[in-house]
Amino acid sequence: MLTLKEERVEAAKQGIESGVALRVLVNGAWGFASVGSLDEAILESAVSDACGMARMASSRLKTPIKLAEAKVVSDRVEAKPKKNPAEIQMEDKIKTAMSVNKAGLGYDKRIKSFSIDYLDLTGTNFFVNSDGTSIEQDKLYVWSRITASALDAGVFTFSREEVGSTAGYEVFDEQPPEDLGEKVAKRAVEQLSAKSLKGGTFPVVLGPNVVGVFVHEAFGHLAEADLALSGGVLAGNVGKKLGSDLVTFYDDGTIEGSFGAFKYDDEGVRSQKTLLIKEGVVSGFMHNRETAQKFNVEPTGNARAEDFRVEPIIRMRCTYMEPKDHSFDELVEKVKRGYYFKSFRGGQANLDGTFQVGIQEGYEIVNGEVGAPVRDASISGNTLETLHKIDAVGKDFLLDPGRCGKGQTAFICDGGPHISVKEVVVGGSA
Amino acid sequence: MIGLAENAVSQALKTGASEAEAYVYEGQATNIGIELGQISKTDRIIDRGLGIRVVANKAMGFAYTNVIDDPKAVSSVIARALSAAKASKPDPEWKELPEKKSYVSLERTFDERLVELGSEELVNVASTMLDAAGQVDKRVFPIEGGIGSAYISNAVANSNGIVGFDKGTVLECSIATVAKEDDRVTPVCFEFNASRSYEVDPVWVGKEAAKLAVSALKTKPVETKSTTLILTQFALQDLFAYTLINAVKADSVQRNQSPFKGKIGEEVTSENLTIYDNGLFPGGLRTWAFDGEGVPHHKTVVIEKGVLRSFLYDSYSAKKEGKESTGNAGRAGYLSTPSIDTTNFHILPGNKTGDEMLREVDDGLIIYYLQGAHSSNPVSGEFSVVATPAWKIKKGEITHCSRGVMLAGNIFEVLKNVSLVGSNERQMGQLISPWIQVENVKVIGK
Repeated sequence: MLTLKEERVEAAKQGIESGVALRVLVNGAWGFASVGSLDEAILESAVSDACGMARMASSRLKTPIKLAEAKVVSDRVEAKPKKNPAEIQMEDKIKTAMSVNKAGLGYDKRIKSFSIDYLDLTGTNFFVNSDGTSIEQDKLYVWSRITASALDAGVFTFSREEVGSTAGYEVFDEQPPEDLGEKVAKRAVEQLSAKSLKGGTFPVVLGPNVVGVFVHEAFGHLAEADLALSGGVLAGNVGKKLGSDLVTFYDDGTIEGSFGAFKYDDEGVRSQKTLLIKEGVVSGFMHNRETAQKFNVEPTGNARAEDFRVEPIIRMRCTYMEPKDHSFDELVEKVKRGYYFKSFRGGQANLDGTFQVGIQEGYEIVNGEVGAPVRDASISGNTLETLHKIDAVGKDFLLDPGRCGKGQTAFICDGGPHISVKEVVVGGSA
Repeated sequence: MIGLAENAVSQALKTGASEAEAYVYEGQATNIGIELGQISKTDRIIDRGLGIRVVANKAMGFAYTNVIDDPKAVSSVIARALSAAKASKPDPEWKELPEKKSYVSLERTFDERLVELGSEELVNVASTMLDAAGQVDKRVFPIEGGIGSAYISNAVANSNGIVGFDKGTVLECSIATVAKEDDRVTPVCFEFNASRSYEVDPVWVGKEAAKLAVSALKTKPVETKSTTLILTQFALQDLFAYTLINAVKADSVQRNQSPFKGKIGEEVTSENLTIYDNGLFPGGLRTWAFDGEGVPHHKTVVIEKGVLRSFLYDSYSAKKEGKESTGNAGRAGYLSTPSIDTTNFHILPGNKTGDEMLREVDDGLIIYYLQGAHSSNPVSGEFSVVATPAWKIKKGEITHCSRGVMLAGNIFEVLKNVSLVGSNERQMGQLISPWIQVENVKVIGK
């Protein structure tokens, strides 16, 4: 781990940890325990503790929890990075981070602050369960967040970008540090001349980066089986047509090197490419073994735990929209008065289908042409209504790494093509 | 724990560090979880570890481990911190670690009863809360929640004479509900109680969450215009966390990321606002004897009747300006280095009760939950968020709920338009605040 603020290394950090997470199902109630120790006596007492607590909770159960069958496997999954981050010297990591910051700070003198956080995680998970599954699986994550702020004549702007990979440190060969620094700085500077936009309902063109967050937030969360069971608006809608024919979304844990990829989830279930909605018809949800049993389907390998301190819950992997046939120009052409939203800053969803995606880079569209930049907008709407309003889908495709918070943090990835949407509510203060 | 911290510091000095600081954490949490309308899960988490900061040649290195029983693992973590420092670059502005100061004794931060609380009792409290929610209305569905009790202790020692130990407890019960009718489902409505002692009211929590959910079933659109808002603590906590709080951190100010830079002594908000950062607030959720660097917690006047008085400092940012740390070095346990954070961010209450505030609004909205506050511009303070949901106030009465209402503006402008501060203070995470009424905020309806 590293944090560099401007050209100062705030701290160079290294950590080592080990621990055990154990889960028992007693009379249909869960008992979970986490201890930072491999000591046999401590583990034994943790197990009996978990069993005792689960038994206590089971006394009030109305519907005991059962698990769907999962294939019994024995496997060893090795990470095969071209450049193993664990073997790269701290000096070299500092050098890479410093070149990002120098490129950003040197881009324009109106850049007032520039930070980079860098993190790599390497280790091995050992998984066993009472069915007989036994998996030894390497974990490898390389992640970075770069932020810049610019200031000119009392106007503040902010820009952010993330890098993430499960392949290895080679991600910085594919995305050279200088390019990253410039990209973040350029946006902060361009935003200085952006104006606040007028709120209201408008047609929009969304870039892959915004489409990814829309797919993740507005649809993905509602397609997590636990949230569907909680009363989310997709509940009871499998097999129904909820969107335009152009709408096909996947959650895919098998894209090698992508930030949400892994072979087995934290219940020992094989990861897969899960179809969520095909040509507007809801196909299925993302499951763990518990929800799969409730829906009488196969688990989809979406049970993930951030680390041994927390229980596995249903999380997305790499969630994206399938591209179609339009060029970017064709999408923009038909918009008379609207916006092109290229890059997001944060997004959130609610069970009733209300979504919000914040925008860090957007432009006006006037008479079919991309015009002046606009600042700090966000889009919102109802998922079910908006899926019908997607009227054209681009042929390009891009994935971006990200992090998702659902009590725990998960490394994920999302994306898609450019799309156009007939109308969404745009929040602006002008 | 103090022994481990002190030993780690002296070992680091012996092996080449010019300065060293050790932070030891030990905690245990027990939770009873509600999911899909029933109590179905339990967990117990025991976590402890050591984080060590060393300085060598004015460069900082940090390492942590959760393997602390083995002296070899401790030596190896010290060696890693040193190697990280050596790989790093000297910081010409580095002065030194903070020096020793005396701590005050705290009230209401530790309750022995919470340490001894068994899972049976916790299950009973969770069950009471669940039943209370269910009894409000048949259309209410509690989707998740539970009760958790935690014991937390930490020790800090450094090579400048600091030695401290503190322990505390926290109890929290919460419930998230939706109401369902036909095909419609409401946004998630949430309530909670959190306390440093065994003082929670599960019946109130269950009922309030359920009542809000039911009142969100029937919705009507609102029009697009600038209007009066009553912001409850949920909304304030969300909005402030990503905007105002960044602006008062000394680090943001020094790095030209705060609109408050150079404005000490100037009026920056409505005169109705007075804000303290009070790390010693009796029973506060963030009340501790000292911060993540072992500097005593403190009461800092941040804004007094609208006038900016002070920023929040850790020891690095304070020494840079020749000032004293305000005891605001936050720390995410042993896994992280300290960074500036609020303690209890206390907005001082006014005189009007919540009911009185509502009665005096002729036309406006009351806002509980926000969606997307984290997408605010952390530097300029611009926000564009959705109220999930908003309730319309007409002639002093809440008339109906409205969904998908967007609010947009700049938090620093909004704070200039605070017209009233309530007396109904409550704690929510880092915030201690009453309701706040603001004028002239842009609302985008449908």
